Amino acid sequence: MAQSGEIELCHLTKRFDRTVAVDAIDLAIPHGSYCCLLGPSGCGKTTILRMIAGHETPTEGDVRIGGESVVGLPPVRRGTAMMFQNYALFPHLTVLDNVAFNLKMRGVGKAERHQRAREMLAQVRLDQFADRMPSQLSGGQQQRVALSRALITNPRVLLLDEPLSALDEFLRLQMRGELRRMQKELGITFVHVTHTQLEAIAVADMVVVMDQGRIEQAGSAREIYTLPVSAYVARFMGGQNVLTGKVASVTDGIATLVSDTGERFSSPLNGQVVAEGDVLHCCVRRDRVALERVRRPPGALPEPTNAVVGAVHAIEYQGTYVKVTIDVPGREQFVANVVDSKFFANPVDIGDPVVARWVPEDVHLLTTSGQAGETHG
Amino acid sequence: MPARRSNTSRLRLHHLLVAPFASLLLVFFGVPLALVVVVSFFDLDQFDIIPTFVLTNYVELFGSSLTYTLYANTIKYAVIVWAITLVIGFTVSYFLVFHVRPFLLQLALFLLCTVPFWTSNVIRMISWIPFLGRNGIFNQSLIALGIVDQPLEFLLFSDFAVVIAYVHLFSLFMIAPIFNSMARIDPAVIEAAVDAGAGRFRVIREIVVPLSKTGIAMGSIFVVALVMGDFFVVKIMSGGQSASVVLAMSNETAVLQYPPAAASAVVLLLVVTAMVVGILRIVDVRRELAG
Repeated sequence: MAQSGEIELCHLTKRFDRTVAVDAIDLAIPHGSYCCLLGPSGCGKTTILRMIAGHETPTEGDVRIGGESVVGLPPVRRGTAMMFQNYALFPHLTVLDNVAFNLKMRGVGKAERHQRAREMLAQVRLDQFADRMPSQLSGGQQQRVALSRALITNPRVLLLDEPLSALDEFLRLQMRGELRRMQKELGITFVHVTHTQLEAIAVADMVVVMDQGRIEQAGSAREIYTLPVSAYVARFMGGQNVLTGKVASVTDGIATLVSDTGERFSSPLNGQVVAEGDVLHCCVRRDRVALERVRRPPGALPEPTNAVVGAVHAIEYQGTYVKVTIDVPGREQFVANVVDSKFFANPVDIGDPVVARWVPEDVHLLTTSGQAGETHG
Repeated sequence: MPARRSNTSRLRLHHLLVAPFASLLLVFFGVPLALVVVVSFFDLDQFDIIPTFVLTNYVELFGSSLTYTLYANTIKYAVIVWAITLVIGFTVSYFLVFHVRPFLLQLALFLLCTVPFWTSNVIRMISWIPFLGRNGIFNQSLIALGIVDQPLEFLLFSDFAVVIAYVHLFSLFMIAPIFNSMARIDPAVIEAAVDAGAGRFRVIREIVVPLSKTGIAMGSIFVVALVMGDFFVVKIMSGGQSASVVLAMSNETAVLQYPPAAASAVVLLLVVTAMVVGILRIVDVRRELAG
C-alpha cells in the first residue's frame, strides 16, 4: 500500500476504426479518492476504465499511475484490480476459489490462499457461502464475491465498471454506501463508472461528467450539481432548468437576457465580459423555483421577468417535495421542485396556468455552451 | 375437477408427442438390438443356426486370445486418435473463438472445417491411397526434394495410415462440440482472469479448459465410439495387416457365423457403453448443458 494510487490521464485517446471513443482527455485523480466517471452509454467512460486497467491499449496519450506510465504493462503490474459489470465470476469455481484466484496466479500456496480468501469473505459476511458455486448466489452476494476477489491482492486502484447496475433498487442503495465505506477504510483510489447521476453524486469525491469521448466537467459532486459549467451538464445532472437568451443590457455585473419568447432573465456574469446581443445560457435550480397559480390563460399575461409562464403538465409526489413539470410555449419543459408543505398549502392541478418565479441570486451562468472546441478553466 | 382433467389430458398429449420418435427408436433400434442379444445365445452347427440357449459363443469369445489382441488393437487406435483429434479440436476451436474477430469470419472458417464432409467417407479415405502410396505424391515429393532416397514404406497400409484416415474423418466431431462450448464462454470471465494476473497458458488451463469440458466430453464420446465401431478404415488403410473388433465381426458374418458375431457385438456394445459412462463420470454433461 506504499505505492500511490494517483492516476493521471494525459491526452488519452482511443479510436476504434474511425470512431473516436475517447478524445484527448486530460484528468488527474488524486490518490485515495473516490472518482466517478459519469455519462450516457457510449460516452467513452468504460473505455477509459479499461485503458486504466490495461484491457485496452490507448491509441494516443499516456496513463500514469503513481507517477509512472503504465501503458503496455499487463494489469497485474499496474497494481490495479477491476470489478467487472455483471461481475464475471468464474462459473466453474467455488466462491472460495474465485476469491483466491488472484493469489493462485501469484503462486501463493493452497492453504494460505484459502485462509486469506476466507478472511476476505468474512469481511463481506459471505464466509458461510465459501463452498457454493457463483450461480447459487443472489446478485448482491455475487457482487460482494467480485469485490472480495478484486481486493484480495491489496490493489492501489480499484476500477469498478457499472458495479451496481445489476442490482435492484434497494440493494443498490445499500451497496453504494458499502462501497463508499470500503473506499474510506482501505484508503485506495476507486474509479467507478456509472450512468446514474444520483449514484455518482452520492458516493464520489470527484465526479467526471463525460459526453462523446470528452470531459464536460470534473469536480466535486456539489460543484457538478450546483455549479454546472455547461448546459449539457446542467441538463444531464437534472437538478437545473436551463435558460437561454440574448444579452439586452448589463448593469453592475448583472446581465439582462431576453429569450426568443420574450421572457426577461437576470444573470450574474461573474466577471465574464459580454457584448449586447451575445447568446448566453444560465440555469436555475429546480428547488429554488416558486410556483403561483394564475387565473388568466398564459397568453394573456405581460412578459414576465425572472419567471416563466405555462400550464402544469405533470405532478409527481416525491415524499419530501413535489416535482411539477410545466409546459412553457416555445421552450423546453420547466421543472419546479416544491417542498411538500408549500405545495399542499396551495396545490395546483394538471392543466392549471402557473407562473414559476425565482430570484436572480439563484441563477448560475453556464460558461461553456458544451460544444466541441470551447473550453473554459 | 376440470383442472385434473386438463392435467391428465396434457399428460396424454405429451405421450402423443414423443410417440413417433419412441416408436421409431423401438422398431429400428430396440427390436434389432434385442434380436442380436437373442441370437448371441443361439448354437451353431457348421452353418446351421440352432435356436436354443447356450453360452458357447461367449465362452469361445472370452477363451480366445484373438479377442484380447483385437480389443487391444482397437483401443490403441481409439486412444491415439482421441488424443490427436483432441489436440486438433481444441486448438482449432481456440483459434476460431478467441483469435478470429468478426463473427461472420468465425462462422465462415468453421463451415470451412466441414467442407471435407461434403464428399463421402469412402472417397475421402481412398483419396489418401494415391497420396501416401509407395509411389504416391508424398513419397515422390520427398525423393524429388532429396529428403529421402528410398520411398517411405510405413506411410500406407500401416497403423500410421489408419490413424491418419481416422483423424481426417473424425476431427470435425471433436471440433464442433468444443467450438460450441468455447463460444459460450463469457469474454469478461477471461478478462477477469487476465486482470488477476493469469498469462495466456494459465487462462487456458484455469478457465478455457474447465469451461470447455462439456464439449471435450461430447467430442470424446463421438470419436471413441466411431473408432471402436469402425472396420472399413482399418481394412482399407492397413491393407489387411491390421484388424479391429468390428472387422473380425464382419468377417464372421461374411461366412454366416451369426451367433458368434452377435456375441461379439454384445460384448463390444458393453465395452463402448462402459467407456462412455467413464467419460460421463469425469464430466457431468447433463449438468453442464443445463447450466
